[in-house]
Amino acid sequence: MTAVVELSHVGKVYVSARDGVRVEALADIDFAIRRGEFLTIVGPSGCGKSTLLSLVAGFNVPTSGEVLFQGRPVTGPGPDRGVMFQDYALFPWRTVAGNVEFGPVARGVDKEAARERVRTLIEMVGLSGFEQRYPHELSGGMRQRCALARMLANDPTMWLMDEPLAAVDLQTRIILQEELLRLWGDDRASHVERPTVVFVTHGIDEAVLLADRVLVLGRRPGRIKQVVDVRLPRPRAALRNTPEVAQLTAQVWDLIHDEAAQAITEESR
Amino acid sequence: MHEISRSVRIVLPLAVAALFCIGWEAAVRLTRSHGLMPSPTGIFASGVEATSSGIIFDAMSGSLKRVMLGFIIGGVLGVPLGLAIGTVPALDRALRPVLDGLRSIAPIAWIPMAILWLGVRGDAALFVVAYAAVFPFIVNAGLAASLVDRHLVAAARALGASRWMIVRAVLVPSSLPMIFTGARIALAFAWASIIAAELAIGIKIAGQGRSVAGIGQLMVETLYVKRDVDALVFYMLVIGAVSLVIDAGLRRVQRRMLPWSAR
Repeated sequence: MTAVVELSHVGKVYVSARDGVRVEALADIDFAIRRGEFLTIVGPSGCGKSTLLSLVAGFNVPTSGEVLFQGRPVTGPGPDRGVMFQDYALFPWRTVAGNVEFGPVARGVDKEAARERVRTLIEMVGLSGFEQRYPHELSGGMRQRCALARMLANDPTMWLMDEPLAAVDLQTRIILQEELLRLWGDDRASHVERPTVVFVTHGIDEAVLLADRVLVLGRRPGRIKQVVDVRLPRPRAALRNTPEVAQLTAQVWDLIHDEAAQAITEESR
Repeated sequence: MHEISRSVRIVLPLAVAALFCIGWEAAVRLTRSHGLMPSPTGIFASGVEATSSGIIFDAMSGSLKRVMLGFIIGGVLGVPLGLAIGTVPALDRALRPVLDGLRSIAPIAWIPMAILWLGVRGDAALFVVAYAAVFPFIVNAGLAASLVDRHLVAAARALGASRWMIVRAVLVPSSLPMIFTGARIALAFAWASIIAAELAIGIKIAGQGRSVAGIGQLMVETLYVKRDVDALVFYMLVIGAVSLVIDAGLRRVQRRMLPWSAR
């Protein structure tokens, strides 16, 4: 399987502008993300999950090592790598349609073609009839769908998702997980035509249910603790309450448990 | 607190205002101090006269034109400068001492210099008004730009936006609510300083017997030439009313233009 992103000995150190304190967020990450896979990243708070994602997105540059996307070093963000944020980062002054069309407009896509694409996407994520609403008029789940449609409007080959479902209630999360899988192509036979997903989450059960592989990070500095293969058939939605998923979830949780407990006491200091 | 009924809520303040006016009128008449002290009936009569002769409209439009022009100059200079300062830390570092220094000089303290440089024809007043208006624009646009949500900028970059599109489609709209607040402050400052500037310039004009150009000049002429306190107070009331109308108008424009910011 071909690698779409290669991280070689990647390290990231943040230096506080105020007091010069160095925080080592990531150390010696050596990993390849495969084309078309659904990769989830889990780990205790402060393990550098989001930092890793932002390096691939191009918002950040590594302090050491190299990040390659399709063989070339990442120098900045690009529309080929769609990003979804935990707080959705919707433009509050744009309507649902205005948000979704931002990418095509930014890339100078023909207006008529862009409009048709935006209409299709809004329908696909179930927001038809809400095109002219502003984000503050929408529920959390609807905002999430809008952010998803906005990301998809550029047809990115990679979806970089930073805890996209963390802010919605449990029932909404389950529904949105299923929609996300469907949009990704969970029921398609071939890997090749699916986008590559990197999905950062706190939810270990979610990480297992969605993923082809779960990347488990340890903390301070973030290192790869283990890569857990999830060799379960797709589509996955039907497997939610199976012993196989529960068993893998327990396995991943065992890897994180001690450090997660440590993170709680350290954060309160 | 007791609940008060709707009719009482409307009648009560009106009754208090009416009682106040009656007491005021009575006090002026009993003390025979009319001429030095204004009276409600006198103010009303002056108002009728100033409106029917049109003098108040001429003076008001003269002042308003200068206020609006100064306000626009302040915005055109202040908003881009503020946005640049709020976005580029080095620029903030470089310009802040100078701007803070200039800002701390009251606009009306510039009146003598402005008269020296620009004369009394209104250009001096315009300078003072623009000076008063520019700083609220700079300060609020600068603050707004420095507070722009980093995630929104990141989202725009990830969607393929160019630098210019980030300025146009993220920085500016995200700063607009705070710029509007700055605009309301700027307009209040501009309006306050036009009165002061015209009063100061008016003294010079009254001495030279030139024509009345704004509400400030009209007040100076009313004071020194006509000695009409009723008219003076009527002009004061008009100034207050116009300020209220302008501010309400701006708030309305904000609600119209920025429906997403009204929570």
